[in-house]
Amino acid sequence: MSQVTRRTRVRRLADSVWPGRAVDGYANLIAARLRKLAAAESTGMLPVSGRGDGAIFFRRGQVVYAESSRTPSPDKRTVGLAALGLVPEDDAREAAVGAPTAGAQLLPLPSLRQLTSMLALTEPTIDAITELLSNESRYAKFRQSDLPPVAQMGPIPVEMALAEVERRRQVLRQLAPIVAADTPVVRDAARESPSFQVSAPQWALLIRVGDGTTPRALAMSLGQSVFGTMIEIYRLLALGLLAVPGHPSVPGHPSVPGHPSALGGRLDRPGGGRRPGTVMSFMRAVADAGGGDERGSDA
Amino acid sequence: MILPEADELLAPVMAIDGFRLGCLIDGSTGMVLASLGSQNGPASPTAAAGAADVINVLNLLNGRLATGEHLEDVMVTFSDSFFMVRPVRRDQRPPILLLVIMDRQRTNLAMAHRSIRDFCASFTS
Repeated sequence: MSQVTRRTRVRRLADSVWPGRAVDGYANLIAARLRKLAAAESTGMLPVSGRGDGAIFFRRGQVVYAESSRTPSPDKRTVGLAALGLVPEDDAREAAVGAPTAGAQLLPLPSLRQLTSMLALTEPTIDAITELLSNESRYAKFRQSDLPPVAQMGPIPVEMALAEVERRRQVLRQLAPIVAADTPVVRDAARESPSFQVSAPQWALLIRVGDGTTPRALAMSLGQSVFGTMIEIYRLLALGLLAVPGHPSVPGHPSVPGHPSALGGRLDRPGGGRRPGTVMSFMRAVADAGGGDERGSDA
Repeated sequence: MILPEADELLAPVMAIDGFRLGCLIDGSTGMVLASLGSQNGPASPTAAAGAADVINVLNLLNGRLATGEHLEDVMVTFSDSFFMVRPVRRDQRPPILLLVIMDRQRTNLAMAHRSIRDFCASFTS
């Protein structure tokens, strides 16, 4: 009988598939599974369960769609490449049923509208994968040939999707001391500055923030990505227009080791609401995700 | 880049003298949508993330100042290169940023600025 426990074997497997990365619970196991499906050029659906249920859909080893019960889905009435005018109707029909076809190439993208339409399909998928690759998630048996409930977006290589998910996780780690997807936020009535200028999306969030609304609930109600909503919420916190209530002030001076603001994490105000002590940085997230050293690889 | 099909959109900016790297970035999430550049050019994820950070900070500044203005573009001069970041269209949601990195010795900054402005204006809605 083997002296190595099953848990150890699983962790070693994850290490072997994702070398150089610290084992991070089951998220790496799902990433390893995605890589195997990519290597096998699989077509079908990988169900994932955990804090929320969801699935990742593949077509010939590339991700074409994903959804999670904890992130908004694209509007099924309007999505679909044919609806967006990105592929000829016949090709779109073939793509939707997963039939291999040499003609299913995307047409050139002449307009900003089509670019944003592609993004409208891709963002919910990346948002869902980010949620599904949490440490609490588990994957089930891969179902060959199961198709997405909507016409899929342009295929994304698994490595590219995982790199983006890892970047987002690093951004979320930066936000975590201040706000998480399920942290209640409130409008800050005690703001000191006489006037502010906010963008339209920020205004849409501000007018919807009630008592204890969470970024995830706001994202769901607006049909926007949870990740993008969290960043806008963070910016509103930085402007002092929102606050995270109910957190007692941390005693001591910021220079005291271990004080959150000394760690660049947060500043606690006398009123108790947390506000960012540092500016969230995408570049730091890229560096932490190890994505900054791929010099010229994506040219 | 998460939308590889969109890379060809950037072809016109490659015509700028001294072009090194071009990226389209989702300014709200920092995600690189498309990128085009030379093999030995800068790494697009880092450059794009830096560009999104710069825009983010300037938007925070603009929000604080509350002057009613909007950001048109940002030009950064390094010892060997120019960085130019421009929102492709004002009030576009999600905001899409264009980043172009150019060789300082080979680029006429005024011409490049004009080319980038025209490129952004050439997007049909």
